[in-house]
Amino acid sequence: MSGALTRRALLGTAAATALAPRARAAEQVIVGTWGGDYGALLASNIDEPLVAPMGIEVLQSVADAPARKARLIAERGARRGTMDVALLSDVDMFEMQQLGLLDALDMGRMANAKNIIPALAKPYAIPQIYSAQVILYNPDKVNPAPTSYADLWDKKYRGRVGFSDLLYAQITATAALVGGGSMSNYEPAKKALLELKALDAKVYPSNETLAVALKGEEVWITVMWLARGYQWQKAGINLRHAFPKEGATPILYQGAMPKNAQHKDPAYRYLNAMLDPRAQQGFAAKMGYVPTVTNAKLPEDLMAQIGFTPKEQEAFLLPDYAYVAQHSRDIFDFWNRQFKG
Amino acid sequence: MSSLSLQGLRRTYSATVAVDRVDLDMAQGELVALLGPSGCGKTTTLRMVAGFVLPSAGRVLIGGQDVSRAPPYARDTGMVFQGYALFPHMTVADNVGFGLEMRRVGRAERATRIAEALRLVRLDGLAERRPAQLSGGQQQRVALARALVVNPSVFLLDEPLSNLDARLRAEVRVEIRALQQRLGLTTLFVTHDQEEALTMADRLVVMDRGRVRQTGSPEELYERPDNLFVASFLGRCNIFRGTVERPGRLRAGTAALPCDGGAPGERSALVVRPERVAIVPGEAGEGGLPGRVGLVTYLGGLTDWHIDTPAGPVLVTRPTPAEGDALRRLSPGAPVRLDWTEAAGRLLADDEHTADKHRQGDPR
Amino acid sequence: MPLLLLPAALLVCVMMMAPMVLLFRYSLNLYSPTQLMVEALSPANYLNAVRDPYYRDVLGTTLWVALLCTLLALAAGFPAGYALARMRGRWKAWLTLLTIFPLMVGNVVRAAGWMTLLGNTGMLNAALRGLGLVGEPVQIMYTTGAVVIGIVTVVLPYMILTLASVIESIPRSVEEAAANMGARPFTVFRRVVFPLSLPGVVAGSALVFILCMNAYATPVLLGGSQFKMMAPAVYDQFVRTTNWPFGAALAFILLFVTLGLTMAGSALLQRRYRG
Repeated sequence: MSGALTRRALLGTAAATALAPRARAAEQVIVGTWGGDYGALLASNIDEPLVAPMGIEVLQSVADAPARKARLIAERGARRGTMDVALLSDVDMFEMQQLGLLDALDMGRMANAKNIIPALAKPYAIPQIYSAQVILYNPDKVNPAPTSYADLWDKKYRGRVGFSDLLYAQITATAALVGGGSMSNYEPAKKALLELKALDAKVYPSNETLAVALKGEEVWITVMWLARGYQWQKAGINLRHAFPKEGATPILYQGAMPKNAQHKDPAYRYLNAMLDPRAQQGFAAKMGYVPTVTNAKLPEDLMAQIGFTPKEQEAFLLPDYAYVAQHSRDIFDFWNRQFKG
Repeated sequence: MSSLSLQGLRRTYSATVAVDRVDLDMAQGELVALLGPSGCGKTTTLRMVAGFVLPSAGRVLIGGQDVSRAPPYARDTGMVFQGYALFPHMTVADNVGFGLEMRRVGRAERATRIAEALRLVRLDGLAERRPAQLSGGQQQRVALARALVVNPSVFLLDEPLSNLDARLRAEVRVEIRALQQRLGLTTLFVTHDQEEALTMADRLVVMDRGRVRQTGSPEELYERPDNLFVASFLGRCNIFRGTVERPGRLRAGTAALPCDGGAPGERSALVVRPERVAIVPGEAGEGGLPGRVGLVTYLGGLTDWHIDTPAGPVLVTRPTPAEGDALRRLSPGAPVRLDWTEAAGRLLADDEHTADKHRQGDPR
Repeated sequence: MPLLLLPAALLVCVMMMAPMVLLFRYSLNLYSPTQLMVEALSPANYLNAVRDPYYRDVLGTTLWVALLCTLLALAAGFPAGYALARMRGRWKAWLTLLTIFPLMVGNVVRAAGWMTLLGNTGMLNAALRGLGLVGEPVQIMYTTGAVVIGIVTVVLPYMILTLASVIESIPRSVEEAAANMGARPFTVFRRVVFPLSLPGVVAGSALVFILCMNAYATPVLLGGSQFKMMAPAVYDQFVRTTNWPFGAALAFILLFVTLGLTMAGSALLQRRYRG
């Protein structure tokens, strides 16, 4: 950032519109989160049973991830931020970290931090829940069961492959793997995506519209988080999942603290509560995400549906956050103009 | 063959009957005024002629042709609306030429006829103005020209003078009548103003609550009304209720009043116009109706005397007497006798409702 | 009195103008993936947007969808507005309420309604298949047609109410006078009602055109992700790629094009039908 004008200007708009923190005797923590089911699960598994008894009032500041990212960015020059805990996916959180918006966390202040699965630990965020990207397919239409991302390029499934527009970065990564690239080289994705376009692949504006298309058998096969697949199966959609032999990309939902958070102490306690085994189990049963701590055990049948075997976990393909952040504009433009256009 | 003929015309709106059993035959060039209080059905009748309202029963014939079901544009009537209804986005010339254009009159002929019509209503020179740039009287004349220029089989006027001030109204009244006579237009004219109707019309149709109460020349209606409604609606009158004693005498309380015939024993209403009543000062004298002077109203050329009599209050209108005349010196409380000829006392069937509603000149 | 009005006028000015001024300033900055925005005074964003055939396409789509929707709304809204204006009594109140009713539901909710109606497993396709008219479902969702239907229904109430209020001020007797002069109903419409409704036609079309140009939820939900109009493109730049300067430039291009066309269209219509 080169000048003061932009920072102050950003501050002006954001501070005027954002939730004004109230200074009160009773402790408060403002959590920037998704609404809907997710917000409700936070309330019923964390806010009420674990945080409220500590005398901390939780205020959810609800918005979609992009809007909350924009707010964090907009407030970056402000001494007093309007979020104490920021919840985002790993890719988004990395971007926020890159922009220097997040505090390095003092893990010693969170008793549950020692139980974090080491592979999921980051110095700037705690992992809340995770899942991984798999192939979801309609078993009546897709035969035999797919084993590789490359199966989506099979001419048999012309016009029957569909994606959610929200997952464009992940789909591009998948296409990169199929095209011979890697998590650090999306260049080959372009050719693969154009092949898929020639096969009449569909793109739906949201996860929910994709679910409707799967339910109506407009499309038969997609790539999606296993947790979503679990929710959709529970909702009665005829789906199975297959673990791709290329390896699954995990998606991690994290909690972090903006540098300008105003209630840091209750924020630490909130982050600690997110790692509590009871909270983790609640999310797993309802949303199909896997716990990120070693001491949260799930029933075996549930684990079979949403969990990943040690072998699968070994094959996890971690996103190259730096690569994605650097190329985010190109990835989006290609997706938008060439693939969808 | 009549120019315009209405036969048993009737129009109902759900439960209400707006117009019922209206019959009328108009000769070519005749001007007939539909007269009555508001809500009497006169405007609905006119709109049935124009085609804006379809009759529930009965027929409308224009030039002998049944147009009862024809749409307005196929009826060849020219109508002047109450608010003039000029086309505000067109010039005066375009307003006037609109009907000609619809009749596919060629451009050159159209221009000639527009100019002619505008000259007729004395608006030459204002052809390129917009209606909003004209005075009320001028707008009125544009509306007239627009309706006249197409030479309609029937000329319809819906309260055309009601938006003008009193002075202009008298002027335009004469103008319309002159135009109508010059062009020989069969004209149906709706008004609630009896003076307008009396001065302009060849014949009047007095309507009340959807029905025609009487049709005839202004003189017939004023001098020989068929019923109390017509008598009291047109001009002012005194009404006495009583029983016919013998032909020529009506007994109303203690008074025996002159009337034009009647069958003994009949309950009747006696109508006397105020200007037909003679006043004799003093108590002396035979016959007539004794009374005392109430209010005296000086009207310039005429004077109204309100006389209290045993038969009720009576209004007398006379040319204002000369200075020194005994009548001129009558002051309130002075005794008088009232009298009129048998012919001036018209006996009518007693219809209390309308009589009380429209009785005028009553000092109460 | 003018002095007393000053604070309120000032407040409105600041609240309306400040964000616009700020946004315009952003549009001259440059984007950086690591710093969000680099301060500059550069026309680069505007030039990039205008030179890029992709955004020219998006703007083109936006324009013709907006124009088509405006024309359809006018064609559908005129008879409705006329009927509403000429109605009397209790019916009028009820129908006015019914016209306003859709405005009480958000665009997203209405788009969702259309999705359940028009989807491949939606009611329309179910009906068509039930009647044996089609074998395979007809693809309506995620087509331009679906977007046009959706936008027209969103903007229709504005058109109807604007037209009705103007038509109401045209005396009935003026129409009757035209009919009396021999004009058939269509001629009455063409020569009298339409020219006199022109202020309403201009106002309604301008309002609706602006709403169409800025449609967001309907094209996103009914057009699917392949269909792009300007407002969603602006959103993408701000929110999905956090390229605020370019998003701001796109927003201003949309604003100027909309403004210019609205003014030009109004002037043209006014001149064409004056007299």
